[in-house]
Order: sequence, then structure tokens, then C-alpha cells
Amino acid sequence: MAAEGDKFVYDPERNYDDATLAQIRVMENEIASQNNIVSERLSMQNLKDEYADADDVFKLKIKDLESRYHYMRRTRGDGNCFYRAFGFACLEMFLADSKNLPRFKDVAQKSRDELVSLGFPQFTIEDFHESFMDVIEKIEKQCSVTELSDIFNNQGLSDYIVVYLRLLVSGYLQKEAEFFVNFIEGERTVKEFCNQEVEPMGKESDHIHIIALTSTLGIPVRVEYMDRVDSSKCTQHNFPEDSQPSIVLLYRPGHYDILYSR
Amino acid sequence: MANIAEARIKREFKEVVKSEEVAKCHIKVELVNDTFTELRGEIAGPPDTPYEGGNFILEIKIPDTYPFNPPKVKFVTKIWHPNISSVTGAICLDILKDQWAAAMTLRTVLLSLQALLAAAEPDDPQDAVVAKQYKENPKIFQDTAKHWTHVYAGGPNRTPELDAKVAQLSGMGFDANKVRVALSSHSWDAERATEYLIS
Repeated sequence: MAAEGDKFVYDPERNYDDATLAQIRVMENEIASQNNIVSERLSMQNLKDEYADADDVFKLKIKDLESRYHYMRRTRGDGNCFYRAFGFACLEMFLADSKNLPRFKDVAQKSRDELVSLGFPQFTIEDFHESFMDVIEKIEKQCSVTELSDIFNNQGLSDYIVVYLRLLVSGYLQKEAEFFVNFIEGERTVKEFCNQEVEPMGKESDHIHIIALTSTLGIPVRVEYMDRVDSSKCTQHNFPEDSQPSIVLLYRPGHYDILYSR
Repeated sequence: MANIAEARIKREFKEVVKSEEVAKCHIKVELVNDTFTELRGEIAGPPDTPYEGGNFILEIKIPDTYPFNPPKVKFVTKIWHPNISSVTGAICLDILKDQWAAAMTLRTVLLSLQALLAAAEPDDPQDAVVAKQYKENPKIFQDTAKHWTHVYAGGPNRTPELDAKVAQLSGMGFDANKVRVALSSHSWDAERATEYLIS
């Protein structure tokens, strides 16, 4: 690397994109070596410890969370955390209560043809769909939480699930493009937004992604927002608004984890 | 190579081999070795472009993390195009970088590259010299791209005037490839190209 003060000299023989990508891979590996993709259940003390030196805004909010939630599960901060947190929490919920599982399986089953009809390549859609259905079948057969955790902590299998959830979000946004186009920043079509912000791995999720995933799967979710906003409580938001979600995610700017109610 | 990457490439390989475009000889993919980590792609220059009739070879490397990360692709055949380095063959294309999605395939990549040959993006260049010429002097750009296609990619369209200029400077003892780059980068001005070659 050039020393500070050196003038940058463009070298046409050098591939700067490759150098950038290589550096991103190094950073990804660093993050990967430090945490599980989805952690064990952790007591709320674990979150408290993380903020031991933080200011009162966070301490009060953690106290608030502690009064309502028993445990949490951390997810790796690789830009896919929303999909992993949602996917894991959703499937774990079905292990505990399979009442709505047949409906969920039916929605998932039908999604393949919907995606193909939107113009996604059939060959890859089938691949990701198949492995997603395999996981649902494991849930149907009442596998253990440990097995589910093993699936989510196997990089390949875990990423397959993330890809399919990303495709579901993209499919729903495109299907309802007329509505969602009003919520997209910049001069972009819904399809462009999906190509840029939904389908690539590692792209972070916003409200629009959450709305799409919860709507297309019919699984409501509550998000607890723990940010710098001056309040003693976390802000809650249900998706959709009038629902009673049994899945709760903890949001801290840029990251989602899973929460378990008391 | 990770199992997922290998299984996926094996399936994709079959998909490309039996695709319609292959039947029409527009795209092709071949194994380089039996590990599926390195492939050789081929795309035909699209009609009504300076690349028409040319056959462009690509080097495709499959990372362990495929399909979650994109394949590494570059042109082996020399090409004159704003989004492809005339020196290294490196490509500037969004889906090979931050807009890659795991649902895409080698077929998507080859077809996107073909589309890139038909519609350059000079505002997001890989080769600044080519991009500048593309924008400021489209006629010279077209002729230069056609010339390169004929020389390096076996395209049928000759550019006799340009061939003559290359022959003239090569006759002075310079390497023909270097002469071609010098002339191409200096609007085919023999004097400036010579200065560049000497410096």
C-alpha cells in the first residue's frame, strides 16, 4: 500500500476491482471466524454485558427489554441477518406450534411457480426452492432445535435459505410493484431496486424488505428498535401493524437479532 | 472446491451446453480441467455492432463460495470496449460485482456480457481511454473496435486504412500489438503514436 502523502498513480495492469473484492472477502472471513451464524439462546445478561460501558439511553432500554424478554439469539453481522433471524425464528416457532405449518408449507410450495413466472431462471429457482422445502419437511417431522441450529450454522445450507427468502422478497415487491414504487428511493424501478438491494447476498434490509417478507409468507413479526432515540423504552413496530406477532426481532442500527418473550 | 459450488457448476454446465443460444452458436462454455474451478467461455459478437462476426474467449474462475459470490470473468481475446480493459481484459459489469445474485448462472453472465458488447456503459468505464474515445469520437471508436475484432477475434470486417497504418509503424521495427494500442489510443495519428512508442 502506498505511504501516506504518496501521489496515487493509476496502474493499468492492476485490477483494482479484484483488489477491492479480495479485501471484502478478508473482512467477511474475519467476521465469520468470530461468531456463529446463529448463536445459542443467550440470557439477556449477554446483551447487558455488551453495553456495560454504554450511556443511560441504552441501559434503560436494555432494562425495558429484560422486563419483557427472557432470551436472545445473536446472528452474524454479514448483511443477511434479517433473513437469518426471521427464517430461524419462524421455523423454530413451527417446531413449538405446528398449527400454521401446513398453510406456510403451501405458500412456500406455490412460490416456486410464481417466481419462475416473474422471469427468474427456472433452473436456479428450483435448486433453492428444493432445499427450502427440505428444511420445511424437517420441521414437519419435528426435528430438534439443535438440528435447526445446525442447518442455520452450516454456511452453505444457511445461505441457500437466505437466497430463497431474498427471492421471495424480490418476487413480492415485483408483484406489487405499483404500490412499492412509491417507497423506493432514487430514480429506480422496483425491478432495479430488487436487483440492487434485495437479490444480492449481504445487502441489508429495511422496512420495505420486512413488509414484503412478512406479507408474502403471512408470518407477522414484531421489531424492537433499540437506538439512540431519547426514551426509556424501545420502540415497537408490528408488521403488519394490526397483527399479534409471535416472532420478535431486536433491531439495533444495521443489525437484527432474535428475542424470546417471557 | 466446496461441494455446493461444484454441484452447482456441474448442473449449470449442462444447462448452458443444451441451451438454445449454444445451438445458435452464440455462447459456449467448456471445461479447462476436470475440477470445475476454471472454465472457458465463448461469446459471439452481437450483430450490428463493431464486434459482429468476432468470437471472444473468456476466462471464467469459480470461487469456493459460488454461487453466493460471482464467478471471476475476464476477456482473453483482446477487445476495444469502454467497459473492458484493452490491457488486461478485466470487465466492469455490475452483476460480476455487487449486483451478483445467487439465482444467476453462467448463462446469465455470458448473455449479459454479450448485451454489454451491444450496449456499452461509457459513464462507468473500465478503460478510460476507450470510454473517452467512445464519447468524443464515435466514428473512430467504431472503426477501432472493428479493427480489433478482425485482428484478435477473427471478425470478417476489414479496416484496410487502419491495417495500413499498423503495417507502416510495425515496419519501423515496433511490435504490431504495441503499435495497434498506440494508434488506437491516439486517434490513429501516426505521429503521436510514434512519439508514444518512443517515449
